[in-house]
Amino acid sequence: MGVTCVSQMPVAEGKSVQQTVELLTRKLEMLGAEKQGTFCVDCETYHTAASTLGSQGQAGKLMYVMHNSEYPLSCFALFENGPCLVADTNFDVLMVKLKGFFQSAKASKIETRGTRYQYCDFLVKVGTVTMGPSARGISVEVEYGPCVVASDCWSLLLEFLQSFLGSHTPGAPAVFGNRHDAIYSPADTMVQYMELFNKIRKQQQVPVAGIR
Amino acid sequence: MVPGIVFRSVLDHSLESLIHRLRGLCDNMEPETFLDHEMVFLLKGQQASPFVLRARRSMDRAGAPWHLRYLGQPEMGDKNRHALVRNCVDIATSENLTDFLMEMGFRMDHEFVARGHLFRKGIMKIVVYKIFRILTPGNTDNTEALSLSYLVELSVVAPAGQDVVSDDMRNFAEQLKPLVHLEKIDPKRLM
Repeated sequence: MGVTCVSQMPVAEGKSVQQTVELLTRKLEMLGAEKQGTFCVDCETYHTAASTLGSQGQAGKLMYVMHNSEYPLSCFALFENGPCLVADTNFDVLMVKLKGFFQSAKASKIETRGTRYQYCDFLVKVGTVTMGPSARGISVEVEYGPCVVASDCWSLLLEFLQSFLGSHTPGAPAVFGNRHDAIYSPADTMVQYMELFNKIRKQQQVPVAGIR
Repeated sequence: MVPGIVFRSVLDHSLESLIHRLRGLCDNMEPETFLDHEMVFLLKGQQASPFVLRARRSMDRAGAPWHLRYLGQPEMGDKNRHALVRNCVDIATSENLTDFLMEMGFRMDHEFVARGHLFRKGIMKIVVYKIFRILTPGNTDNTEALSLSYLVELSVVAPAGQDVVSDDMRNFAEQLKPLVHLEKIDPKRLM
């Protein structure tokens, strides 16, 4: 996969999540982007069961198990500031076997679903982030396919993001930070989604864009 | 997925005869050898027995995914069944598996190197391999053979409930006599 930037789009003043998504997708269509199916990224949270904590002598950790429809045969498991494991979908079966040691925080399952747009070498995915029945925010993922080194194409990605996100264009993702010349991988995208989902979980309500 | 497994061993000097017979009996394919490094990880909780996971990587095939395997307790079902049956989950993973398992709280219990030959007959897998003890933890170049024999393992991974598989295994095992007598292991004897 190419270098990817995942960010959150605040909801437009006086509009709902769905209306803001529609505004954004209309802008993309006016730019000339073509709809190409749908996408979904989901995330379940597991925490170490109390029974395991005592013998380990360490604070409970949160483990995130994520799926991305772009990689239907894979499952991503990660710890915050820790390693990200890429495995096949049997990892979900293993988590069922491990339920005595890792418990799923059911209520915190979060996902983003929406449409994929192809615009030349860019793949844009605008999704509605939901937790249970409620829409909690908007995710925007932009991938620049031809390049796998972040430092080589960040300026180009930024320019493209500005063309349709305007003042809501994000800064460089933290995953790009220390590893300028490293090859970008799907695990880096999942880390960005994990950070986005955590940020959205902490937000009390849907953030609204300020009046300028 | 539930593997049926039978085990036995054959002394080093009988290896060539066994390989020769297996090449005749098994599917026609290029003989496949392997050199794998396996690490066994345990997660201790308040349950009586720790959770065991096996992480295996190929030492001679660069770029191959790591293999994570969970094997459940042997099913104490039908005593007439000819093979040991256990629940199993196989997962292919990226290379940072050991770091990830440590982060989950697993600790390595032991490790070893296995070198041998792999054959197939339909869905049956026959592996003839030697186990090597790793003398310095983490250093797979410094090993010594655990015994003077090769382990012979006949296994099948099949969906749960397919008992007819163990009959096929017994029939195949018959054809390897008298070179090797493959039998079901009594798990209690291993404890």
